[in-house]
Amino acid sequence: MAGLTKEQIGGFLARQGILVAFVVFMIGFTLANARFLDPDNIMGVVRSSAILGVMALGVTFVVISGNLDLSVGSMMSFSTIVVLDLHDKIGPTLAIPAMFAMTLCLGAFIGFLVGYLKLNSLIVTLGMLSAIHGLTLTYSGGKNMDIADKEGTWFKVFGQGDALGIPVPILLFVLLAVVLGALLSKTPFGRKVYAVGGNGTAATFSGIRRARVVFTCYLMSALCVATAGLIQASRSLGSQNTVGQGLELEVLAAVILGGASLMGGSGTIFKTVIGVLILGFIQNGLLLVGLQFYVQFVVTWVIIILAVWLDIAAKRGKLWSPIA
Amino acid sequence: MKIRNALAMSTAAVTLAFAGSASAETWTIGITQNNVGVDSYQTTYEKAFIAAADANPNVDAVVLDAGGDVARQIAQMEDLIQQEVDAIIIWPTNGEAVIPAVRKAHKAGIPVVVTNSNIAEQGFDFVASFSGPDNITQGSRSAEIMCDKFKAMGIENEARVVQISGQPGYTTAIERQKGFDDRLPEVCPNVTLVETQPGDWNREKSQKVMEAFLVKYDDIDGVYAGDDNMGVGALNAAKAAGREGIIFVGATNFSVGYEAMERGEYWGSIYQSPVDDAEAALETSIDILNGTEVPFLNYFDTPKITQDNMGDFTKPVF
Repeated sequence: MAGLTKEQIGGFLARQGILVAFVVFMIGFTLANARFLDPDNIMGVVRSSAILGVMALGVTFVVISGNLDLSVGSMMSFSTIVVLDLHDKIGPTLAIPAMFAMTLCLGAFIGFLVGYLKLNSLIVTLGMLSAIHGLTLTYSGGKNMDIADKEGTWFKVFGQGDALGIPVPILLFVLLAVVLGALLSKTPFGRKVYAVGGNGTAATFSGIRRARVVFTCYLMSALCVATAGLIQASRSLGSQNTVGQGLELEVLAAVILGGASLMGGSGTIFKTVIGVLILGFIQNGLLLVGLQFYVQFVVTWVIIILAVWLDIAAKRGKLWSPIA
Repeated sequence: MKIRNALAMSTAAVTLAFAGSASAETWTIGITQNNVGVDSYQTTYEKAFIAAADANPNVDAVVLDAGGDVARQIAQMEDLIQQEVDAIIIWPTNGEAVIPAVRKAHKAGIPVVVTNSNIAEQGFDFVASFSGPDNITQGSRSAEIMCDKFKAMGIENEARVVQISGQPGYTTAIERQKGFDDRLPEVCPNVTLVETQPGDWNREKSQKVMEAFLVKYDDIDGVYAGDDNMGVGALNAAKAAGREGIIFVGATNFSVGYEAMERGEYWGSIYQSPVDDAEAALETSIDILNGTEVPFLNYFDTPKITQDNMGDFTKPVF
């Protein structure tokens, strides 16, 4: 720290306030229960956060482009149920691409409605939340979906496998985060997403085809959801129809916690990943501390609000707004 | 109004004609279900109910489904009252909100049987009988299954148990937990229940909860889950962590639980058949219509199932 000036430290805090908040919570939970930092526990939390995380990556694109996606929870149930059902009918090699194709169709449909027809994304995706849930139930007839041969299938590799000593869900999450992070920060497409979300009219006058950018963002979201469904299905090799229920709000919380603006135009993949990890470690930390469940609801939100506050306070360099 | 009256009269006339032609009395029994199609239990229940009603020549069934919607269920109750059915079976979408509709049926002289999960106590005066599982007994039986197994293993004096309960606030979850919590110290006073956390009836959530338990406690001998879906989630967590020798006991035996029992990974559960549930509801209403004495809480039996006796039970369809 010796070589850094006060300004440099301040600048770092302002950029990475959420990271600082994350470290503070990690220290807090470790003090409360030493096992929190156990490598097995860390690995377990990251592995189970991978599903939420993969979904949050896609939603980050949608949110930066100035829209919302509340359909991801239902859509994840849909992909999970479809891939489990098709696994026994046409085999995993065909079931996986078929499920991706079906999920992408849903994403394309939403992208068409929001991008090309310019319908309000909140209304469209809120509607799709129940519509896709209905679709899933119709597809499955309400039954739980289970793979018959749970021991023999290679399909379990996506959720339960290891490569290089790291669980496959984590690898998929990291891989997607790196690719999508590069796409967002290093390519013309990425800059267009920020432009469309930041100032749509200006973007149009700069020759950016807004509809196409928004459409592509929803495709990315669907692609991520399909990957999440694949991990989920492979992790438990069986599922209820409601497996993704409520995840849309957790995903949105993670994205916003990472600092993306609901108004569009700001946010990064890296910060979304931090947001996802904060949520995952809060849930796990509260379980390890052994707080009574009803209290956990409240405490979770107190922590999230604290994190957002720390982030904003770091950005403006003061704990409260000077012009209140 | 005229048309509706005419309809009601013609329905009544048809019912009378039926009654006249059959040798025994014919009853029209209406049922409004909670949310068919949302899970396999309810789907199977509906099929079994229709089959049982078809098999009984003295019963005409009007089968409705509220789709989980309280307002629609109340409207369906009013329709059934309007149709002047002989008895109404209701699977409440909400234990409180349906009470006024149940009261209306009661005032119209139509006996109401509540099935599967009961309505709130202030509505009991308007209900002829409740037909369903006894969740407190289910919880105590799970405690007994677990205790018996510990005794067989010789660890009844030191075993440590964790519990994964159903969704907080739901009667079934609360009652099963109460049954388990109360019974375990009676049968196995030296077994410690170290912690209870909810798994929300969700396999994935229970897996997460169990992962945290496994990190927190080096020594877990038994897991009680409020249903097999959650129990299997916990089992998956233990398998992934390589922790062996844990005794898993659930409730509401699902096919996944039954299969895990076949593989020897899951010790036992409570067998609750949606077919028995549906048949018991129909039986209860027929008994009431025939004037047979029926207890107010008319539970159908939900026996213990373990790896030892599972051959006596068919694999659940849900």
